[in-house]
Amino acid sequence: MSAVPSEMARRRAGLRARLTPWLLMAPALLIAVAFFGLPIAFMARMSFNEHIDQRFYVPGFTFESYAAMLTDQTFRGALLTTMRLAFVSSIVTVVVGYAFAMLVWLKPKRWRLAFIALALCPLLISEISIIFGWWMFFPKNGLLSYALVSSGLITDKVSLMYTEFAAFVGLTYVTLPFCFFILLSIFDGIDKKVLEASADLGAGPLRTFREVLLPLTKGGIAAAFAQSFIWAVGTYATPSALGPDTLWTIGYLIQEQMLGKHNWPRAAAFSIVLTIGVALVMVIVRTLTSKRTALNG
Amino acid sequence: MADMNALELDSVRRAYGGVVAVDNVSIDVKRGEFVTLLGPSGSGKTSTLRLIGGFERPDAGAIRINGVRIDHLPAYQRDTTTIFQSGALFPHKTVAENVAYGLRMRGITKADITPRVKQALEIVRLSGYDERYPAQLSGGQKQRVALARSMVVRPAILLFDEPLSALDLSLRLQLRAEIKRLHEEIGFSAIYVTHDQGEAMAMSSRVAVMRGGRIEQIDRPEKVFGEPANEFVYTFIGESCCLKAWIAAGAAADSDGDPIDLRLSNPLGEGAWRIYIRPSRMHLGRADMPNGLKARLDFTEFLGDVHRYHFKAAKLELFVDHPGAVAHKPGDLVDIGWQTADMIAYQ
Repeated sequence: MSAVPSEMARRRAGLRARLTPWLLMAPALLIAVAFFGLPIAFMARMSFNEHIDQRFYVPGFTFESYAAMLTDQTFRGALLTTMRLAFVSSIVTVVVGYAFAMLVWLKPKRWRLAFIALALCPLLISEISIIFGWWMFFPKNGLLSYALVSSGLITDKVSLMYTEFAAFVGLTYVTLPFCFFILLSIFDGIDKKVLEASADLGAGPLRTFREVLLPLTKGGIAAAFAQSFIWAVGTYATPSALGPDTLWTIGYLIQEQMLGKHNWPRAAAFSIVLTIGVALVMVIVRTLTSKRTALNG
Repeated sequence: MADMNALELDSVRRAYGGVVAVDNVSIDVKRGEFVTLLGPSGSGKTSTLRLIGGFERPDAGAIRINGVRIDHLPAYQRDTTTIFQSGALFPHKTVAENVAYGLRMRGITKADITPRVKQALEIVRLSGYDERYPAQLSGGQKQRVALARSMVVRPAILLFDEPLSALDLSLRLQLRAEIKRLHEEIGFSAIYVTHDQGEAMAMSSRVAVMRGGRIEQIDRPEKVFGEPANEFVYTFIGESCCLKAWIAAGAAADSDGDPIDLRLSNPLGEGAWRIYIRPSRMHLGRADMPNGLKARLDFTEFLGDVHRYHFKAAKLELFVDHPGAVAHKPGDLVDIGWQTADMIAYQ
């Protein structure tokens, strides 16, 4: 009734002001927590459980799984192998994807659909089918060997099957489409006239690339690299099916702990370390490239 | 050297597939001249500009800048700069970096770049905007930066590719006046492409009216307006009414053969004629003028300075712009008169 709002009403208004943003975020937050937060929380909890023979795990709280990792040569080797493989294949993926996306962007519109359909193809086929495809490509009597011999580049048939090279090609092939689409969307956001403007002001093609195109696509390169890195780190079937028996990736080790040795806490601990490692790489990539991206759109 | 042309196009031709976009175009631009290419879309004006800028190569003909042939050179080796319709500023560079770009590409030292950038921004009245990014500028400001970026390198010729057509009217008029002021102060040579005849008339030393890849007429704006070379130029420049009349034995009729009460001082020969008069050159209620027509008022429109009277005479439709209050009602039969010099007839 009075002109001065009561203490109660004021407090209620303040509470509402503080609650509103949370309520607005609630649906998104709920989905994020339910689908991403909870599984990771369960996994983290699992990694601290105890393990005894004949049982997947025993509820408890121990750092044993993590401690074991520090001394486990196999694990450290696998971590390095995984990172190296993912890193190199992501770089190649980004370079190839960048060139491909730039080509599609620069070419007349009528070519576009064909190129995009081509890039979509690998996504339509399951990873397993793709692996079978490579099995026909890399061995001694495979397509690659046949092509190399008949083109006269080599005289004896070769097998590249079960080499790190094959694993690496397989990984690159899997991550390439994602990379391509991310980069194409970035290219599509650029006014092509800036290339003409650059040439118009006296910059040759290479200079234009360095001064204009590269800075404008920096964010896309980072995103594409991050995407293919995550994918390459997490993919387990392709490298183990195409690579040598000695190529132990973390994905392989997790699978072995989980399904082979029935040591769930250890598998969970590996996964947590892998997740943290990927997150760290993401943070590094972000901080290296986030300058002024807000302005560049 | 002093009277050498800044730019010469000599029978330049360019076709895309089977379509001839630029057909035997020859233009000379003298030093300090501001030549406008005016035409509807698809008339080849932008294609011509792109040939000069080096974004396309001509199939035939020669392009010379300061007397030196350049049509074989890529854009980045030509002494031309373009102000694009979209501005095409580098979004990741500040205003100052945008303006400095061309100077850097020409290998000018940093010590010389800074004062020139500062001066260029002063000229386009954007001092103090050095550190802004294009996304922080308005449309008009972006075009000023584009102008500064192109002018700062002092090219042999500045190329304007419809730089104002993306802006709203008041801004367009303001920037148009500013470009004209800059041209008068600095005296750069320019080719300006537009479909806006107002821009062409207001800014140009000479106007080239283009159609279908050809130049229909190239002359001073007053000449193009007052003495059009042909029917296309007449109808493209300024508004006009067209009376399509069939004349036989001194009497006029419309296409259906219904008579029109048309009076002409110089009788036209027999046949189908298209008689053009500007709506502002026809006068209402003037039976005493050498040429005239009786027509029924259909409706009027208020245009601000004038009212536009829409008339019907048999099948003919015409409109007359008249200042002052509306003096006639729809349905009135009104005398419309005009001077002989204000009409032009084509057969």
